[in-house]
Amino acid sequence: MKQKRLGFLLVVMLGAMLVLGACSSGGSSGGSADEDTITVWTMTPELEDFVKEYEDESGVKVEVQAIPWDNAHDKLLTAVASGKGPDVLQIGTTWVAEFAEAGTFLDLSDYIDEYPNFNPDNFYESAVETTKYDGQTIGIPWYVDTRVLYYRTDLLEEVGYPEGPETWDDVKDAATQLAARGDDQYGIEIPQVDQNFPFMLAWEQGWQYEEGEGAANFEKPGFKEGVELHHTFFEEGMAQLTEGKQLYQAFSDGSKPMFFSGPWEINSINEQIPELEGQWDVHVMPEAENNNSMIGGAHWTVFNNTDKVDQALDFINWMADPETQVAWYDTVTELPANMEAWEDPKLAEDEKISTFGEQLESTQAVPVIPEFETMAQELIDTLEQINRNDADIDEALEEYRNQVSSILSK
Amino acid sequence: MNKSKFNITPFLFIGPAVLLLFVFSFAPILVSLGISFTDMNLSGLANWSQINFVGLDNFIQLFQDEKFLQAMGNTFFYVIIGVPLAVASSLLIAVLLNFFNNWVSSTFRVVYYVPSITNIVAIAVVWSFLYNQEYGLFNYLLSLINVDSVPWLEEPVVARLSLILLAVWKSNGVSMLIFLAALQSIPKIYYEAADIDGANRWHKFFKITLPSMSFATFFVTVTTLIGWLQFFEEPFVMTNGGPLNGTNSMALFIYQEGFQYSQFGYGAAASFVLFAIVIVATLVQFKLRKTD
Repeated sequence: MKQKRLGFLLVVMLGAMLVLGACSSGGSSGGSADEDTITVWTMTPELEDFVKEYEDESGVKVEVQAIPWDNAHDKLLTAVASGKGPDVLQIGTTWVAEFAEAGTFLDLSDYIDEYPNFNPDNFYESAVETTKYDGQTIGIPWYVDTRVLYYRTDLLEEVGYPEGPETWDDVKDAATQLAARGDDQYGIEIPQVDQNFPFMLAWEQGWQYEEGEGAANFEKPGFKEGVELHHTFFEEGMAQLTEGKQLYQAFSDGSKPMFFSGPWEINSINEQIPELEGQWDVHVMPEAENNNSMIGGAHWTVFNNTDKVDQALDFINWMADPETQVAWYDTVTELPANMEAWEDPKLAEDEKISTFGEQLESTQAVPVIPEFETMAQELIDTLEQINRNDADIDEALEEYRNQVSSILSK
Repeated sequence: MNKSKFNITPFLFIGPAVLLLFVFSFAPILVSLGISFTDMNLSGLANWSQINFVGLDNFIQLFQDEKFLQAMGNTFFYVIIGVPLAVASSLLIAVLLNFFNNWVSSTFRVVYYVPSITNIVAIAVVWSFLYNQEYGLFNYLLSLINVDSVPWLEEPVVARLSLILLAVWKSNGVSMLIFLAALQSIPKIYYEAADIDGANRWHKFFKITLPSMSFATFFVTVTTLIGWLQFFEEPFVMTNGGPLNGTNSMALFIYQEGFQYSQFGYGAAASFVLFAIVIVATLVQFKLRKTD
């Protein structure tokens, strides 16, 4: 009897081991062993159907694995730690430095001449800038993204800006008039948790981040002017400090007739508030010293230890082709990084998209350094102290500089 | 032969559990203790030769980090207000449910349990609407009795209290079930004897019900306390630690350092401080129970 029980126990344990074993071999995805198959990690699920054309053309099978943005960082961390990643992976511009420092990507510098579509001259300069880290070129731009001003044409016409405000002074003037319409009426929505926005304001005041200068960068006058501009909107009631209504509701009822956003907003406004058609438009960023907006988007990179470099590069070459880029724009409205693609009538004849095209001519990238994320988060906390807690701007900025120098010295 | 077989059987039975506990609990704790003395970050993760031993630097830095100290203060705030509130309210609900022995009891048992098994993201969506300052239900109800709108999630102290309210609502279900089970296991004869002696309801509650449930109360208090020290989900989904870092908890701070900024060493050090606090708090409770 006892023996029987022991036997049963052994069977159960053996079974458990087999199951666990099966799990572990299933989990180690890695690059596929098959010569003609490459694995691609992306954050855009639509890519899965999109690559069929490439598969037919090249005979290479592309296994697309779509990762939601929220999980992507963790998933990449795991890939870096275990050394088991895909062959090709999409990387957001803001993550380049962090993962490049960890040696996640293959240096593509030597391959750039081999593939016609890799030529840096094909792409927006500021997009190419974010593919460079420490003298290496770690990726090829895929799509780009920038911010422009969305505004209600009817409401801004009433305050004298039918074509939208040109400069920050115009914005302040318009917003002041609009906020004076009554209680719960504001002029503009100013982002409070966007990591790039405060930097855009500073650039527009002529500020630049120089890598060698570290925390001293934030002593330059342009930066303080940017912070002051941010604060003015809240202090004078032009923008709402608290959460408030959902943005589309506020845009549609007119209580917040201006806001800043990216290209995806065009489709979603058309879908969610169709009744507003003809009453809104987009305008390039307001100007001070310049009207530089941020450049975001994503690149294609090759995982450092893949065996299938040639296949991976061939796939990226196809993705970087102007024709593919137009087709991709058609699929999900992500803006092509390849400038030739912008000549296609689908983009050139769409007025709102052309505004994005115009804005892309004056964009710049946030500093490509691994500490950027922490630095930007501290800046958001600092702005919160200034806007919500009435902290003195000079003191808060001095405190911020201390924070930055300790972040950079880590 | 026979004897050795007799000896091995119990080990085979507990073997898998011990193995799993070791691999998935003890080993990670030891590894992260090791990591907390290093400056490990993302590049260290990829290439172990870049990890440096920094001794107690992380811990020293932690206790100079205003953000961490604030998160610690917030966590104590959550615990001091939240734990008694959560234990008392679930006890109250259990006692009330115990009065009825019909469909009312079973219906409301389900009603109070549902929040515990609802996805936190769904809860966050609904409660964000409830707490919204412009069109939230709570402010609407207050406006009916002419009370000014409350900045539920926009002012640090109020936001902390709002999160406590949400967490208490969410956690009541499980504790209530435990209390209910304990209540129903109290023998009826005690109450009958008390009736004969002429005791009233309050006497019966304080002299019979509460003492008979002391173990359940102890268990619920300890698990609730540990849960509240690791307060994470609510600020994570509702406020992300803001406004002004006012709702940040230690667990959320660890998440931010470790997974958002990839400062694994620093995050591990913070998690050890939390670990130590949890252990101390639990030991104190065991000690108090013994002296009872």
